[in-house]
Amino acid sequence: MARYRYPRIPESEVTPRELFESRRRLLRGGLALGAAAVAPGLLWSREAQAWQGLLEERLATDLPSSELAGGESTTSFQDTTTYNNFYEFGTGKRDPEIYGHRLETDPWSLTIEGDVDKAGTFALEDVLAGQTLEERIYRHRCVEAWSKVIPWVGFPLADLVKRHGPTSRAKYVVFESIHDPDNLRGQRRSIIDWPYREVLRIDEAMHPLTLLAVGLYGEVMPNQSGAPIRLVVPWKYGFKSIKSVVRIALVEERPLSSWEERNPDEYGFYANVNPTVDHPRWTQARERRIGESGRRETLMFNGYGEEVAHLYAGMDLQQHY
Amino acid sequence: MNQRTAITAFRLLVLAGCVTPAGWLVWQWYFGDLGAVPGEAVVHFTGKTGLTLLLVTIAFSPAFRVTGWVGFMAARRQIGLWAFFWLVAHMLAWMGLDQYWDWPWIRREMIELPYIRYGVAALALLVPLALTSLRRVQKAMGYRAWHWLHRLIYVSAALGVTHFWILTRADYMLPLIFVAVLTGLIVFRIVDAMLHRR
Repeated sequence: MARYRYPRIPESEVTPRELFESRRRLLRGGLALGAAAVAPGLLWSREAQAWQGLLEERLATDLPSSELAGGESTTSFQDTTTYNNFYEFGTGKRDPEIYGHRLETDPWSLTIEGDVDKAGTFALEDVLAGQTLEERIYRHRCVEAWSKVIPWVGFPLADLVKRHGPTSRAKYVVFESIHDPDNLRGQRRSIIDWPYREVLRIDEAMHPLTLLAVGLYGEVMPNQSGAPIRLVVPWKYGFKSIKSVVRIALVEERPLSSWEERNPDEYGFYANVNPTVDHPRWTQARERRIGESGRRETLMFNGYGEEVAHLYAGMDLQQHY
Repeated sequence: MNQRTAITAFRLLVLAGCVTPAGWLVWQWYFGDLGAVPGEAVVHFTGKTGLTLLLVTIAFSPAFRVTGWVGFMAARRQIGLWAFFWLVAHMLAWMGLDQYWDWPWIRREMIELPYIRYGVAALALLVPLALTSLRRVQKAMGYRAWHWLHRLIYVSAALGVTHFWILTRADYMLPLIFVAVLTGLIVFRIVDAMLHRR
């Protein structure tokens, strides 16, 4: 029997979540058994995992949840995690799912530097320790004109930035993704100038909607979605929401972001979702919601205008796209 | 193996090469391996297959010039028609699986989006070629006129490669390969014509 039919599968045919996951557990269990047979050391070494176990424990408790997608239903977990752009693993939509396991996420550390009082490199478990995790259901709009609704788990970026004491010189926040060509096959070719860099203006970074996410759908962030920690800026095109962050720097002068450097005419610094400014090669007026047939009209600022429009007051958004 | 058998075998091989991708696509669809947006996967796959076959069609004549084996010429019409078939499938997949038969939008995208314009033009140029592929028509037209008309395949392929180039976002590996192959074929054609000018 076909597992997937186009364009819409009846609910009765969708593999129940529990089944889907029990199969994954079974696979994992099988692997663990195999490992136990040949090398018990491998199993014990799992105890050394620094943050994953801690995060799993916290995800198992009830987290505060806010619905910020206008009641639109969430994209399925499966669609969200099998249709991704994460060029570090390849440019195909399924490459991140297929090759994502090559990313080593535990242990992980985050460097916070630049114009901050408390600079340094911090283990992810320490970064997470003082943060209150919450669930935020956001719309997610890609510059390629597709969209999803995703329940992220994370904490406001502002909380982290404040903890490190930004100085008055801090005007921009620079983010950098992991660079590891040995394990990330996409980085063996210079599709973009690795490592992937993104930049936010400080007021955008401190906005309460701007999230650092460590999970989705109540689970630890899958590698293809940007494990272990990624940015989520819901009113901007997805490429601004940088994945697998290793470095955050507060700076005075604005550096170029990776996509801006690659093609400034097409990927502006702000990259605010804007149905009235087309990508030079396609329209941004509509979007394909993954899992739906047909198209939706794209909302200004991805529907978060009430919250964020004031950040751009007086700016010409045709020019500062 | 005599000449006739070899040619028949080659034609069957070409047939298999042109049909197998469809089987692969159906298989992938059936087992849900086309991902979260299977319609998009179908559009991309039919497009790449059609463009590849178009370039292979163009390569058949140089292959004949180099090897002198008539099998290439015997199978050229067949493969050309298959390329046309795949590209028509590509357009229908785009209209139905990507645009959901939303005619006002299909029209609008055809007018407004450069890569759609190039794609439509590439396919439109192939229509007279497909229509004149019947041997009777070919005979009625006379070989000279027919030959001239069918040089449109170069223009169509160039438009098709441009179409693919424009819609590529970051990884230009495959479009570059297409450009290189097409350029090579055109250069061969020109050099060959100059060398053998009477």
